[in-house]
Amino acid sequence: MTKVLMKGNEALGEAAIRAGCVHFFGYPITPQTEVPEYLVKRLPEVGGTFVQAESEIASINMIYGAAGTGVKCLTSSSSPGISLMAEGLSYIAACELPCVLINIMRAGPGLGGILPAQSDYHQATRGHGHGDYQLIVLAPASVQEAVDLMTLAFELSETYRNPVMVCADGMIGQMMEPVEFPTEGRGEPMADNDWALTGSEGRERRIVNSLYLSPEDLDAHNRKLKAKYDLIAEKEVRHELYGETESPDLLLVAFGTMARICKSAIDDLQAGGAKVALFRPITLKPWPYAACREAMDLLPADAPVLNVEMSMGQLIDDVRLAGEGSRRVEFLGAAGGVVPTPEQVAAKIRELLP
Amino acid sequence: MGYIRIERAVCKGCGRCIIACPKDLIEFSEEINERGYQVVTYKGSPEECGGCTLCAVACPDLGIETWNNRGKQTFTVTTGLTEKMTHYCPGCTHGVVHRIVAEVLNELGLIGRAIGVAPVGCSVLAYEYFNFDMFEAAHGRAPAVATGAKRARPDTIVFTYQGDGDLASIGGNEILHTANRGEKITVIFLNNAIYGMTGGQMAPTTMPGQRTTTSPFGRDVEDTGMPIKVAELLSSLTTPAYIARGSAHDSKHSVRLKKMIKTAFQHQADGRCFSFVEVLSTCPTNWGLSPNEASAWVADAMMDYYPLGVIKEPAKEPATAPAKA
Amino acid sequence: MESTNVLMAGFGGQGMLLAGKVLAHAAMAEGKEVSWLPSYGPEMRGGTANVTVCVAARPIASPLITTPQALMVMNLPSLEKFAPKVMEGGLIVVNTSLVHRDPKREDCTVVKVDARHVAGLAGTERAANFVMLGAYVAASGVVAPESVEREIENEFTGRKAKHVPANIAAFRAGVDAGRDVQETAAQEQDA
Repeated sequence: MTKVLMKGNEALGEAAIRAGCVHFFGYPITPQTEVPEYLVKRLPEVGGTFVQAESEIASINMIYGAAGTGVKCLTSSSSPGISLMAEGLSYIAACELPCVLINIMRAGPGLGGILPAQSDYHQATRGHGHGDYQLIVLAPASVQEAVDLMTLAFELSETYRNPVMVCADGMIGQMMEPVEFPTEGRGEPMADNDWALTGSEGRERRIVNSLYLSPEDLDAHNRKLKAKYDLIAEKEVRHELYGETESPDLLLVAFGTMARICKSAIDDLQAGGAKVALFRPITLKPWPYAACREAMDLLPADAPVLNVEMSMGQLIDDVRLAGEGSRRVEFLGAAGGVVPTPEQVAAKIRELLP
Repeated sequence: MGYIRIERAVCKGCGRCIIACPKDLIEFSEEINERGYQVVTYKGSPEECGGCTLCAVACPDLGIETWNNRGKQTFTVTTGLTEKMTHYCPGCTHGVVHRIVAEVLNELGLIGRAIGVAPVGCSVLAYEYFNFDMFEAAHGRAPAVATGAKRARPDTIVFTYQGDGDLASIGGNEILHTANRGEKITVIFLNNAIYGMTGGQMAPTTMPGQRTTTSPFGRDVEDTGMPIKVAELLSSLTTPAYIARGSAHDSKHSVRLKKMIKTAFQHQADGRCFSFVEVLSTCPTNWGLSPNEASAWVADAMMDYYPLGVIKEPAKEPATAPAKA
Repeated sequence: MESTNVLMAGFGGQGMLLAGKVLAHAAMAEGKEVSWLPSYGPEMRGGTANVTVCVAARPIASPLITTPQALMVMNLPSLEKFAPKVMEGGLIVVNTSLVHRDPKREDCTVVKVDARHVAGLAGTERAANFVMLGAYVAASGVVAPESVEREIENEFTGRKAKHVPANIAAFRAGVDAGRDVQETAAQEQDA
């Protein structure tokens, strides 16, 4: 297996094919447009389907239709487009259909800008459509990790019959880095199952539906979903601890691109003897609360936690939940496509260190 | 001698069969069934009925089967529908169109490959009635769902079943682009000029001057525009294969409608692209009319504005054209 | 070399993104870690286009560099915008075909190349980006020039293969222009 230099967006597209997904439905939006541009050329080579939808509303409903027939399928968008998918995602999650969507986040709110941001954190992790549903949200910090998590996304979506979001920012989408794909060629299609609509010849008919007019039935359905989400939270949390992992004097918490920048700040400060660790959630949903709390417990009693994000205070909610009030949580953030630099992070760390 | 059998338990007492019978052999009985409806009964002598099927064709609830003079069954309830009684109001023609779709799929041998997409609107529960694989879609999005399903499973027969609020209002973009891409699906579009499920609001297809709960003084076209003629609108696109408008308001028109719906599905089975049938339909409850008054209103108030017929069909293919899969 | 990085900036169409990509490929072929991070957005059309390439022996933490170790500028707006940001004691390669102003960084090593002229002599003025790349590679020692030449061959394939000789010639001319500086720098390091 050799390494190739690829843009994040293109690598995500290729990773989907390697994971066995050959059905793509999407709409152009900066900074993710290389995903459809890559797949429209690549999918015909592997016998796949590419549809440029008329809107993100249509894209996600095409995904609903394709996923409901039991094929691995993918859509991709960026922040404003993801907003338009809220309704469809709620239906897909309610019907327990597997699919993967990519959000290459750009700065908001509103039309915002096209530069990288992490300001869709709440949208991704709190289920931005209506009703009690949850996505699985994976946040890569490099092009290689984007590829690895794409593979995982298709596995998790099929295992749990749940939509999975790969949530990166414009920087990861646009950046080229060397990547190694775990497998060659087109991956395996979805396994046969007892729920997909394929035509009812020779079997009982099947229905893909999220309407439950009986409150008791709908309550039971929600309890079933909740049990699934609890199982996912128990089994699928992923994180990374970096830097001084034995007895740090300060703990940073950041994800995705922001976490890489924090790593640079830690590396720069380590030379001067500063003992700093980084806790990086890889699964934004389910969030690794227990592991984060353990990392916090490595700190001296009154040492603070520094939350760093490319948004104005979203990730910090989960950091505080992890600390359960036991820690002072400091905030460093920026928005609009402004990215906190390693120097700014280092300066803030110096300010907080004893 | 011919005869009919009336399934009293499913009769909703709409009386459409009474009007449909050319020999005036059906009337209301004194009997009230378990669901509270006054059921119809055969009033003639046995030798009078020829088993012509017009009463059965008019019945939205699959409540009548017919036999002809030689004892041959002339109308059998289709197996393409489940045995579940529909929630539709008495005299609503959704039941008629459900029956036609199911019969057509059966007759074409397509039931085992069929995937239907139910909308949001009165027919939101269509998945309980069609006896094959079904989606229930978000409001207006059925054509996009159908696109995804058909693209993922090209060997299936995919159709959407949508009302006028769903298709012509909130789903305007999805139907337009699905038609224009030439998706190989069939769309059955029920136009009853009103929102039914939410209780009778103005639809894009509501007639000028028509009273609804959101046009209580009659639809003011100066303010809300003229009703959208969806079949004509889609016919302005070059891509679609087949576009027609029929009506389900009476038995005679229902028979013609069935031919249109059969042609539409045949096009899909033959691998041709987008086929679409608009159906003028009744909403007695929200129109504030009796079932038979409602049928008359379709003929009197809607048909001039929404003319019936095949609006677009494929050009005759040359004899050398390759055979379709 | 532990790690280094370069910001390549110019007008859209001056080939900075391509030069950066070839550099990233060359470093990768040498077994190094790399990242190639472009500016993206409205400035892709007509405005400035720039790319940051990081090259390192171990995995790259932040690909976002605010004080680059080296700067390669094709036009005046890029010089004015980025020259003040170069790390102290860094390297600045200036295209004097279009930039007639001094970077005003006494602490930095400055390499001046009339890239369009040199490229023209090598066969095509369009290869000015590779002249600049050559000067940077020679002055910085980030990768072996032969590695870049191999990647230029890999970049122009099929119908574009005919552009390989002129681009390699332009690159070599750039290497010659930058070599003196590298030797001086090496002597300083030894001392």
